[in-house]
Amino acid sequence: MRVTDRMIFENARRDTMAARQRLEDATREASTGMRVTHPWDDPAATGLLVQRRLAGARWDAQRTSVERAADELSVADSALDSVANAVSRAQQLAVQLSNATYSAGDRAGAAREVQGLISDVIGTLNRQVGNRYIFGGTADGAPPFDATGAYQGDANVRSVEVMPGVNVNTSVRADVYLQGSGGGVDVLDTLRTLQAALENNDPAAISGTLDDLATGVDQVARARAEAGANTLLLDSAAAAARVASDQEVVAGAALSEVDVIDAATRLAHAERALEAALAATSRSFAKTLLDTLR
Amino acid sequence: MSSLLGLLAQSGMSLGAHSAASATASHNLQNANTPGYARQREALSAVIPSELVGGAFVGRGVELLTIAQARDRFLEAQIPGALAAAASSSAEAEALRSVAALDPDAAGGMVDALGAFFSSLRQLSQDPGNTSLRTAVIASAQGLGHAFNRTAQELDDARVALDRSAEGRVASINAASAAMAELNRSIRVARASGAEPNDLLDARLRLRDELAALTGASAVPDGDGNINMVLPGGGSLVGGDRAAQLGTTPNAANGGHVAITLRSADGQTRTLTSGSLGGTLGGELAARDGALAQAQAALDALAFDVGGALNAVHRGGVGLDGSTGRDLFSVGATAAGAARRIQVDPAVLADSRAFAASSSGATGDGANLAALLSVEQQAGEGLGRILSDYGVAAQGADIRRQHGEAQRDHLQALRESASGVSIDEELIHMTQAQRAYEAVMRVIKTADEMLGTLMELK
Repeated sequence: MRVTDRMIFENARRDTMAARQRLEDATREASTGMRVTHPWDDPAATGLLVQRRLAGARWDAQRTSVERAADELSVADSALDSVANAVSRAQQLAVQLSNATYSAGDRAGAAREVQGLISDVIGTLNRQVGNRYIFGGTADGAPPFDATGAYQGDANVRSVEVMPGVNVNTSVRADVYLQGSGGGVDVLDTLRTLQAALENNDPAAISGTLDDLATGVDQVARARAEAGANTLLLDSAAAAARVASDQEVVAGAALSEVDVIDAATRLAHAERALEAALAATSRSFAKTLLDTLR
Repeated sequence: MSSLLGLLAQSGMSLGAHSAASATASHNLQNANTPGYARQREALSAVIPSELVGGAFVGRGVELLTIAQARDRFLEAQIPGALAAAASSSAEAEALRSVAALDPDAAGGMVDALGAFFSSLRQLSQDPGNTSLRTAVIASAQGLGHAFNRTAQELDDARVALDRSAEGRVASINAASAAMAELNRSIRVARASGAEPNDLLDARLRLRDELAALTGASAVPDGDGNINMVLPGGGSLVGGDRAAQLGTTPNAANGGHVAITLRSADGQTRTLTSGSLGGTLGGELAARDGALAQAQAALDALAFDVGGALNAVHRGGVGLDGSTGRDLFSVGATAAGAARRIQVDPAVLADSRAFAASSSGATGDGANLAALLSVEQQAGEGLGRILSDYGVAAQGADIRRQHGEAQRDHLQALRESASGVSIDEELIHMTQAQRAYEAVMRVIKTADEMLGTLMELK
């Protein structure tokens, strides 16, 4: 094969440019740490990367929602604790003042205390997180209990998605556990009955509230148990969402990022290749008859 | 006496032949870096003896027969095709790789916007009546609409840029075609004188290569010494000393993007189909009407389908203001152009309470959000498919580019080996011609001395 000067220069240009391009690619990979920047870098990985990025965002959002829901449930649990204390105190008063030895004045004093308990319970059950009334079911834009203690909320329960297609309840049904829908007792109504019996100085009527008060205590305890169980589920779901999000980040990185050692090795190889191309080029330029024919 | 005078005369002719050899080497050296130049070589021949002297034919020196180009016809026939293929795939790959809108990690791109929108829905589902979360949903819906708009605009901008490029290339192609037709005529005239117009042949070959690379046209020599250029679809670009003219015209059927027309030398005009062009022009049009158009159409379909699916769910829900039957996005009636048009419904944009998160109207009811979230998978898969398909197309074009350029470089190296100028070789050849010239000068001097001796005889 004849080798011409133009061929030497053209080969040198092409080989040097190719070596420089490889060095540029290796430098970009090593400096950015990214293997897939454009869809054509790895089309299959690009499609998967979209799924990974969306899944990562989904888990992050889910975790935020679940953590907020868990915070709300904690507030609900704290409120139910206050309600439970109030009902227990009412139960104590009922037991104590159903005894015939107490005077009408004692019972009138106890009636005032029960009235205070009713106000406290209503205030507690109308507690808000942000602008939201947590015991109103999905009717959470207005106080769920009016001044008389009548329930104004709905019979729905709020829930949050903890994984695709799986929801956990994030509210306690005040209509069931406090109003007694579905077979229980109306706790506030029972307290009002007790208050009336105390005001009327009627030991028998006072004694008649004891069963309902016991049921009320039990109802509130069950509500707390449910809230507690769901809080645990939410805490566990938040932890799982965090792990899943991290896994998506790792899986996305495996698809799109370079192995640091590989990148450093490729960069070193590319540098050597360019040095070799430049050295070979400068040598080939030096060998010509022009240098000897003077 | 007469033979000595003849010797002087034939030496003069030989000097001319060696001088031509030296001039040819000099011409080669001066064109060592001229693109498309093929080295030339003189053809010398011993002059046929015509005179019998003493029973023997005495030679009459050397003469210059011709100066010919060193060209390998087999290689030259393959080069236009290789140039066209490399130029086509290179132009297509460059055009497709110039688009950054579909990068998976582009800030504010489709992937980010889609993730942000569905994340905001998911967060709202925990507290559907929360005004801040509702505002965030509307903002992210607006962001999703803008991402669709921006991506569609960037794809369209890339296609429009290729229109402008095609218009520029058409002008270059017309100039080259006209020049080639003129060279066909000039070469015919020059050949009528009996000599090969080597430098005109080089110029014509350069134009042939340029037209092949620009249009994918193949070269068809004819019996009159012309090189005719025929487009891949069969249209004649250059026929003898007549050149056709390419033009551009807006094509309403292709969104107003330009179509290429061919006005033949006899004045007839026709629109070229996509397969009728190759080379750089064909490659750019292939990118414009291939992967870019497909990505644009797929993005429109995604905007239309996802927007439509979200609207269908949203219409079935109830807003905090009690409104129902309202779209979330305005996408238009057809998929075509949906990605450019999509935007949040003005009523929802104006008041986040109109966003229908619930199925009952209760502030804490997020039942409709679960249905809205069910569109996420469809959207994610659709977007992944668009990016992946575009990546496959761009990667395929790049692989073809690498292959085409390797083939082109290989053939050009072989052409350079056959036709290129070696400075060493030409210096040797020039020295060789110089020595022969000096030897002939010595012959003249000797003949002159012999004549002098003869003239001094008394």
